[in-house]
Amino acid sequence: MVIEVRNLLKRYGELVAVRGLSFEVKKGEIFGLLGPNGAGKTTTIRILMDILKPDEGEVKVLGRSPSEVKEKVGYLPEERGLYQGLGVLETLVYFAELKGVPRFVAKERANSLLEKVDLLDRAKGKVKELSKGMQQKLQFIASIIHDPEVVFLDEPFQGLDPVNVELIKGLITELREQGKTVVLSSHQMNLVEALCDRILLINKGEAVLYGPIREIKKRFTPNSILVKSPQLPPIVKGVQAVTRKDDAFLLTLAEGTSPQAVIKALVEEGVELEAFEVAPVPLEDIFVKVVKEGRHSALI
Amino acid sequence: MRLSKVWTIIRHEYVTNVRRPGFIIMTAIVPALALIGLLVGAYGGGLLKNMGQSLVNFFEGTSKRIGVVDGTGLFTPLLPEYEGNFTLFGGEEEARKALEDGKVDAVLVISSDYIENGKVRVIAKGSSFEAVALEDSKWFKGFFVSHLLRGKVEPAVSRRAADPVTIQPEVLGEKGKVQGGGPWGILFTFIIPYFLAFMLVMTIFVSSGYLLQGIAEEKENRVMEIIVSSVSPLELLVGKVVGLGAVGLTQVLVWLLSLLGFTSGAVMLLTISAFSLPPSTLLLLVIYYVLGFAIYAFLMAGIGSLGTTMRESQQVAGILSLFAAAPYMLSGFLMANPNLTIARVLSFFPLTAPTMMLFRLPLAKVPWVDVAGSLAILSLSLLGAIWLGEKLFRVGILIYGKRPSWKEIWLILRSS
Repeated sequence: MVIEVRNLLKRYGELVAVRGLSFEVKKGEIFGLLGPNGAGKTTTIRILMDILKPDEGEVKVLGRSPSEVKEKVGYLPEERGLYQGLGVLETLVYFAELKGVPRFVAKERANSLLEKVDLLDRAKGKVKELSKGMQQKLQFIASIIHDPEVVFLDEPFQGLDPVNVELIKGLITELREQGKTVVLSSHQMNLVEALCDRILLINKGEAVLYGPIREIKKRFTPNSILVKSPQLPPIVKGVQAVTRKDDAFLLTLAEGTSPQAVIKALVEEGVELEAFEVAPVPLEDIFVKVVKEGRHSALI
Repeated sequence: MRLSKVWTIIRHEYVTNVRRPGFIIMTAIVPALALIGLLVGAYGGGLLKNMGQSLVNFFEGTSKRIGVVDGTGLFTPLLPEYEGNFTLFGGEEEARKALEDGKVDAVLVISSDYIENGKVRVIAKGSSFEAVALEDSKWFKGFFVSHLLRGKVEPAVSRRAADPVTIQPEVLGEKGKVQGGGPWGILFTFIIPYFLAFMLVMTIFVSSGYLLQGIAEEKENRVMEIIVSSVSPLELLVGKVVGLGAVGLTQVLVWLLSLLGFTSGAVMLLTISAFSLPPSTLLLLVIYYVLGFAIYAFLMAGIGSLGTTMRESQQVAGILSLFAAAPYMLSGFLMANPNLTIARVLSFFPLTAPTMMLFRLPLAKVPWVDVAGSLAILSLSLLGAIWLGEKLFRVGILIYGKRPSWKEIWLILRSS
């Protein structure tokens, strides 16, 4: 395991920010750390980055205490910024040096990463001369300039346009391909869904959902199918209810009825089918449902 | 603490700050003003020099033409060395006429009973100020002494009686060593404490300004969290204190050296002053300077990091700086007695001890109890300042937008 957290507890005076949190992150996976605002995500990441000390519990990163592995860990905090008056290359080199990378190696890596995000021509310019999106990209590469084993990305897509979202998505996927471990915290559930292998959803400092994203979605998927057709017969065998959803029909199936059986019945009745699929449950819906209901039963 | 990381921060803080236009302008402003002063001085130098000499002559009276009415016969004839400035007149009427005609500036009427009562009338135009000025003139007194002793003693004794003493003060230093031979030597012992205490207070003011500005900017720029994910708050704090301390010291040194450089001879004066002190005192002065700066810098960085605006941070820094400057208020008393009870008490209080000891050490032999006690207190206080500064800094750097209450600060300190 790359990250091991056992019964983590962190208080700020009277407020308990993280309460008995336990989870693990495997090597080479993209792990989603999710939760509503104030759930305790940033506090958890700050403890894993050795910025805050836990009150109770055990935390290990790469098998050691977080303070011992700072050079092997990259971090893109939610509250982030850059020295506006400093040069672009100079900024990257300084951040790399703080992570223990020799100056000449840092320069080489900085140039190569700047090229990857189309900022090489800006290397000698000042940070303040970059657009907001460019600064976001610069911050992202600053978090991986030292070639870390583990990267914590807190809201990496914040404020980016769709083109740059795709670029950063590509870089995160590339990190996984290189065998790096990524812990991703984001409110953009579609991106989390597209990138993450497993997730941990926390609410009010406690874990409420934890496990592989596919299994979580399977568990929350209702027994229903989405059918696109000009018209449906009033009664379909094995279907409990029919509701209109945009330009399609959502068919809720009776218990014990399989989607295949319903499709077969529709075809036999001569219904013109344009498209059909097992009704997907977006992660966002699961997130909202779990947070609103405050359920713990979904813990895997 | 990893020194390589601390060094990276020191270098970064120093290099980025000395390149700032604000630093360059502020640093250059004092030498520029001194240069302007020098040019003005060079242009009007001759005029100023003449004016200065005229003033000296006025108060010494050496440029005056004085008429003498000798009722005793002791001043007749005049000694050759006084013939240029003094003229004998046969009677008061004749002398008054010469005064009215502007041939002399003043008339001395020495009556026949002068030996009994020493009274001499001085007649001058305008005010009696000239008469008073003459009375204090060494040169004028010499005129009387030389004529009164004429023929009675050796000429050399007569000259000595006219100018009997030139004091060469000496102060017994450590192990019976004489320090500061001559009147300048005494002055030197005043220069050193003033200079060092001034340097300390200035460096604290200037560096704390950069420290607070740096921390406020990093909080504003949201860079802080990225930095503390790579280094510990203590490493960052030490790097900042040393790096920005060096920036402040650079600025103060440029200011002082430019001023000293432009005022000829002052550098030499300072060098002589430093060498006139025993090496052990010099070493102690440096130790107090470093300890003093470090205590203030760590405390200011810690407290400053809690502020949400530059103004808030500066208010706190201002209060701390008052402690550093406090011994200046006692400087008058300290010159007379460096071992005053109040001075000794303030030498044991961590915030006033550095400046106070910088004042006292060059002035007199300070009791060893004071030195050992204040050094021990300062060393412990430095550890305390680092501990407190680090704890406050650790919390303060992650606070955005709102200032913690005293209760919150207390809870944070207690929990850590």
